[in-house]
Amino acid sequence: MVKLPILNDMGYYEMRLESIGGFGANLCGKLLGEIGAMSLGLNAAAFSSYGSEKRGSPVKSFIRFCEADRELRINSPVEEPHLLALFHDRMVHNSSAVKGINENTTVIINTADKDISLYCKRLFTIDCEKIAMETKSRINMIMLGAIIKASGFIPLATAEDMVLKTLGKKYPDVLKQNLDGLREGFSKIVEKIPSENGQKLEDTGKVKRVFWGYKTAPAGGVNYLIGSTAANDLSASREGYFPLFHPEKCIHCGLCDTTCPDMVFRFEEGEYKGRKVMKNQGLDYHYCKGCLRCVKVCPTAALTAEIERDFKKKPHFIRTKGLIAEEIDYKAEGSSGYVTSEAYLDEQRVDGGLL
Amino acid sequence: MATVKQTYIFESGNELAAHAAKQINYHIMGYYPITPSTQVAEMLDSLKAQGKHQIDLIPAEGEHSAAGICYGASVGGGRVFNATSANGLLYALEQLPVQSGTRFPVVMNVACRTVSGPLDIKGDHSDIMYALNTGWLILFASSPQEVYDFNICAIKIAEAVHLPIIIAYDGFFTSHQKRRCEVFKNDEDVRNFIGEYTAPFSALEPDKPITIGSYMNEPDLMINKYQLHIAMEKSRKVAREVFEEFGELTDRYYSAAEGYMHEDADILLVILGSAYHTAKQAVDEYRNQGKKCGAVTLHSLRPFPSKEIVELCKNAKTVVIADRQDSYGAGGGNLSLEVKAALLTAGVMPKTITRIYGLGGQDFFLEDAKTLLGCGIEDTTDHFDYYPKVAGEKNEIRPFFEPISEQEASPGVISVEEDEGKFKVKGATINQTLKIPKRLAPGHGACPGCGIPVNVNLLLRGIEGNVVLLFQTGCGMVVTTPYPQTAFKVTYVHNLFQNGAATLSGLVRMYRSKQQRGELPEGEITFIMISGDGGMDIGMGSALGTAIRGENLIIMEYDNGGYMNTGYQLSYSTPKGAKSATSHLGENQYGKSFFHKDTPQIMAAANIPYVATVAESNPQDFIRKAAKAQMYARNYGTVYLKALSACPLNWADKPQNERSVIAAAVDSCYFPLYEIERGKTALNYNPEDSNKKIPIIDFLSLMGRTKHLKNEKYADVVREIQKETDRRFKRLKAMAENPLL
Repeated sequence: MVKLPILNDMGYYEMRLESIGGFGANLCGKLLGEIGAMSLGLNAAAFSSYGSEKRGSPVKSFIRFCEADRELRINSPVEEPHLLALFHDRMVHNSSAVKGINENTTVIINTADKDISLYCKRLFTIDCEKIAMETKSRINMIMLGAIIKASGFIPLATAEDMVLKTLGKKYPDVLKQNLDGLREGFSKIVEKIPSENGQKLEDTGKVKRVFWGYKTAPAGGVNYLIGSTAANDLSASREGYFPLFHPEKCIHCGLCDTTCPDMVFRFEEGEYKGRKVMKNQGLDYHYCKGCLRCVKVCPTAALTAEIERDFKKKPHFIRTKGLIAEEIDYKAEGSSGYVTSEAYLDEQRVDGGLL
Repeated sequence: MATVKQTYIFESGNELAAHAAKQINYHIMGYYPITPSTQVAEMLDSLKAQGKHQIDLIPAEGEHSAAGICYGASVGGGRVFNATSANGLLYALEQLPVQSGTRFPVVMNVACRTVSGPLDIKGDHSDIMYALNTGWLILFASSPQEVYDFNICAIKIAEAVHLPIIIAYDGFFTSHQKRRCEVFKNDEDVRNFIGEYTAPFSALEPDKPITIGSYMNEPDLMINKYQLHIAMEKSRKVAREVFEEFGELTDRYYSAAEGYMHEDADILLVILGSAYHTAKQAVDEYRNQGKKCGAVTLHSLRPFPSKEIVELCKNAKTVVIADRQDSYGAGGGNLSLEVKAALLTAGVMPKTITRIYGLGGQDFFLEDAKTLLGCGIEDTTDHFDYYPKVAGEKNEIRPFFEPISEQEASPGVISVEEDEGKFKVKGATINQTLKIPKRLAPGHGACPGCGIPVNVNLLLRGIEGNVVLLFQTGCGMVVTTPYPQTAFKVTYVHNLFQNGAATLSGLVRMYRSKQQRGELPEGEITFIMISGDGGMDIGMGSALGTAIRGENLIIMEYDNGGYMNTGYQLSYSTPKGAKSATSHLGENQYGKSFFHKDTPQIMAAANIPYVATVAESNPQDFIRKAAKAQMYARNYGTVYLKALSACPLNWADKPQNERSVIAAAVDSCYFPLYEIERGKTALNYNPEDSNKKIPIIDFLSLMGRTKHLKNEKYADVVREIQKETDRRFKRLKAMAENPLL
């Protein structure tokens, strides 16, 4: 049985993975648990934040280890992780994602940002996107490699065996990519110097949540705050690309609006070629999830798919129509994200889906 | 030491229930997907695809039918399995006393979840407590290991006393948490332990004809129920023996109730399910401080282990009973009421305190367990309370949007005129209908590229004026109304999966009634019911009833071809051959085994004034049909619209391609665009006319869920799908040519 490097008062070593639906953190957590339980001789538990699975929404995955003969008595989420993995660097600014970091926490962040820093015991970064493009592997495999390296107690060979056993049988075609990703994650991880002080992280996505209690909530769960999802900023759902608007090419046909699931486009009355029409004014990117449906249907290439990193500021970013709230503290996440089902999610999706 | 070989696996409670079922190799499982129990059927389907068992898995169209399938199978004298949760259990509830009253054993797993409404998919015990009076045996497992072990023991207990049995466990906390567990290494050892089952009666032995389900008067019914009572009582001894025998084989011993540090404890916490383990940790911490605490849990709810509870609690001064459910107005949840009754009956009188906790999946941290025990330590005088309870803040909440006025919603860009018995829509162009304000606000949580908001928006672009929307449960509902937010700018109502059309009927009739009495002004509201995610399976009865009564409302189905809100299990409208979590691909399966449901034709058979299919790939046609739908719903009766609705996540295709995938469905005639106006069918688009018709495989190969059908070994399946698609389309053409069809 492997010796765990650090334990909490109850004798548990705890990990938390913070991710976005679609990156495969659930599977990563499950593999970590399985490695502990089946290969390292530990008692182990693994579970995810619960609910219905949606791509692009936040997902948390939890792993608890202890010695084989000790009972795992706690079922609740990991509050103070010994190891915290952030699958997206946006999460550094999310108070719920970085909650519970202390002087014992090892943090791993998927980022290309060389200057990123935060307070913790040990800090590691890994550029998963770059490795994913090179190895054609998936983020979760690269993160798995990085996590086991940073953990200091999980040998690479053990993880390779587990990937071979669990994924190799089911998806032999992508086994090589998965293993490459795992190894690259293990070897390409970079240690950084953490910030010295236990400073509180800036929570840039200030959440001014409506908070109703039993004395204030309308009875029966009735909600009169019409359109209040407009307080959500769903930018994190985009996976690198966004639709760029070229008004000079736009013929104001409105097809983009018929295909946009997220009510991103704003049309107002105006004139085009001497006729009164509804004219496209721009997009409210707070709500754009980057599906690029609009780019595909636009008949005049007035919308193009661009790499988000290349645009510090998005042109033609316009507030959604009819919004009367003057200032909105946009909530930097989607609706609650979670997992109800694993059998199918574990399958490799053929095109642009999940693993 | 275990005397029969065991092995470790790392699985969740649901997976372990499925693992046990596979080892038992039941004859039949009748089921209907509902979170958080769905994985049981999913896992069994996956194992079936790999040829690991012979259980016949039957996807019902609702839990009531699933229970019916199980009942029917059980009267055949074989071994039968089911799994459900929450409102699924309640929907099946009516069948439960039938099963027990006629004394046919089945095994059902209940991954406990809070009962709606408001809808919440997470765990508490409000569902399982409804089953207390059904005459079923009920075991409660507090960990994934117990889920497995109780599944193996349950069937043996149930068969010995001829009663059905439930294995209950915490939804998510136990159903979804993966743990290292011990299982029988060899399936034969499980089968040897449970033995052969010889049913005393079977409906499948023609040489021994019997009547099952007599009509019974008094005093016979009294006798029947007394027999049930005797069987229930007999099960106590049987369970003890079965647990003992199981312990000898596995070294894992169980009893109807167990305690931790209870012998000398002054304060005991009685708590059910996964929270018991957290309570044990809290006990240790208090013991370290010299406080004499203990914890007690129950593994059997029916029969209720009164003697065991009294024995465990007899030395305590204070017993805190934690209920994850309330019997509102009774002064406690059912656990409290029954524990108190047991103590009182035995003349054991500790002080009792009840706390309602953890409803709707509220996490139970160590601190919470300490607080509950703390109620006993502090000797509180509140015998009953909720913990925690939050009073809330009085914060001024400013609105995000003004309500949409009728005038604003009626820019006059659409008109519908009658022309030779048919209606024609004028205007309603894609550009001009942009003047109608969106009834949905952005910021909802649907997946990138989801078709549901696309279809709802297209529908509403053909409808001017006031609208009231009703959504049946499904992704469309879950992603738009995450409390305390809502994406709707117009009035919206939710009701459960099977009852939307009926609910909206009631609302429409109330509107008319109030108008007739002068309590509401003259005017018009267009009432629209939106359903998808298989809602037209379980909700078919309600929709047909509404249609036959001719209620003035629109039913729009967004047909995404599966139960996507629960993680994509097959629905009846899933294409044949499609992979899903309950129709896996494997050596023994090619995906879903039967054809997709032809819902428009079923609705048309109710002779409603307007039925139409719509597709986002033909947005102009879509908007015009929406306008017609409004006119028909206002003036003639019920309207049914069906939109094929993309689900990139589960169709396994790229979000940006969805409109082309839908177009391919139309061009392959998998999803023909047509309308039936007062009985007369018209094809709105025939791909054959413009040489655009494509073979069905060209549509199916665009989606990851059906792409495998391209493989030569599924050629026969594809041929069958092509044949059925052609047959349905030819029939449509014939209908379009003949006004009588």
